[in-house]
Amino acid sequence: MWLQFWRVMHAGTRNFLRNAWLSTAATAVMTITLAIIVLSFISNSALTSTIKGVTDKIDISLYLNDSVTPGQLQTFEAALSADPNVASVTYLSKADALSDYQRQISGNQQLLEGLQLAGNPLPASIQVRAKDPRHLDSIIAITNEPQFKTLLDPTAPPSYSGQNKATINRIVSVSNFFKRSELVASLMFVVISTLIIFNTIRMAIFTRREEIEIMKLVGATKWFIRGPFVFEAAMYGIIAAVIAVALSYVILLGGGPKLGSYINVQSTINFFRAYPILVIIGELVVGIFIGAFSSLLALSRYLKL
Amino acid sequence: MILLDRVTKIYPNQQIALSGLNLHIQPKEFVTIVGSSGAGKSTLIKLLTREETHTSGKIIVGGLDYDTIRPKDVPLVRRRIGVVFQDFKLLPGRRVGENVAFALEVSGARGREIKRAVPKMLTLVGLGSKERSFPDELSGGERQRVAIARALIRQPKILIADEPTGNLDPKNAWEIIELLLKINRFGTTVLLTTHNKEIVNALKRRVITINKGKIIKDEEQGRYSLEGGKQ
Repeated sequence: MWLQFWRVMHAGTRNFLRNAWLSTAATAVMTITLAIIVLSFISNSALTSTIKGVTDKIDISLYLNDSVTPGQLQTFEAALSADPNVASVTYLSKADALSDYQRQISGNQQLLEGLQLAGNPLPASIQVRAKDPRHLDSIIAITNEPQFKTLLDPTAPPSYSGQNKATINRIVSVSNFFKRSELVASLMFVVISTLIIFNTIRMAIFTRREEIEIMKLVGATKWFIRGPFVFEAAMYGIIAAVIAVALSYVILLGGGPKLGSYINVQSTINFFRAYPILVIIGELVVGIFIGAFSSLLALSRYLKL
Repeated sequence: MILLDRVTKIYPNQQIALSGLNLHIQPKEFVTIVGSSGAGKSTLIKLLTREETHTSGKIIVGGLDYDTIRPKDVPLVRRRIGVVFQDFKLLPGRRVGENVAFALEVSGARGREIKRAVPKMLTLVGLGSKERSFPDELSGGERQRVAIARALIRQPKILIADEPTGNLDPKNAWEIIELLLKINRFGTTVLLTTHNKEIVNALKRRVITINKGKIIKDEEQGRYSLEGGKQ
């Protein structure tokens, strides 16, 4: 058993080395396949975190009357927090709102002076962040309840209404479109490149079909014939995985910071830094699987005894 | 012993390749099978090597009834018979020694045994110095010797040589035939198919003539003739 296994590995390695040109071509195609898979993963993850970064900034500001008592505020906050779509509820007092605004206009002396004359015209507010910005209706419904509607400042409508709500919806739908497109594009890349590698291995086996015929006539079992081919194809996968991972790290760590201002790649970089073993094992598994599976499939038609 | 009892082979396109063929070859015999192209010689060889299955009748080779062979046992059947082909059928990516060793490797022989047997066998066929050459570095005659060495390394009781001299010049052809005779003297049954009239006539061994899937002549010390005669 072990003797036959060792012979299969030995023959596979020998074939790999002796068919150097074919091995190089197949490994190159496999490298491109695996690099596309990793880069699809990176871009998918970067796009997801970029979109999350944008949608996380979508919140609703509910401006309160000055007459709201701490008890009423607590009830209102509790009602909002109880909504399953609410991620967080943050209270911003009149004084906090004023100091925030003062910080924002700190360079504009005229506005600062005008603000001093007016006292504190800014209302206290509650910032509500939704888990899913597409579904704000339940939050809107709470603010429309009679006991809470009277707490809101009638001169300062909540920021979800009117133009802002349309913008939120637009951002959400655009980001969803990108997420879906990215997923479809990634899947297409993976499917196409897998087909290319399958075809490459099929061609490699086709050129050696006579060899398979001879092995059969000499009395080799199916596994004794299959083994070296499968092992050879797995070797393409192993070498390609190592190159593809190295390439991905170079692209991500070298080019990532330059992309930082356009898309958010930091979380992907962090993942690649934190789990290099996981990344390489993942790539090795995918590479070996694609190689071995393709060769098994391609061999099946030549192995009928 | 090779026994074929009323063996018929009809291909899926309804072509009748062998029709009720009876053949009995004793151990240690040297038998030559002749016949024009399409007579059924190749089909006969393919039935014996189990590349094809017979449509009806009975085939028994070395005590093994071919009707009882399961698909997974086919490699075992092939390991019991040595086969030499006209086009050599050597593995092009393997050295001469590796080609011969392959026959032992598939049988699960140990490395030490292979290392000992391969050079011995190559010396026997006159290729002791070519162990590390690749097949495409050899002449036709040398390649056929490698094929014979591969067929014999497992010491089969039966050696089938399917037109082994077809691609060789007369000198090399005779060397191969002499090698087959030598193997036969050591006790191996040899079944030879050939179109070479001079060789058949010079051998003065049993000659079986096949035509249209039937044996039309079977002579103990036969000569090459495609005409029918006493069976």
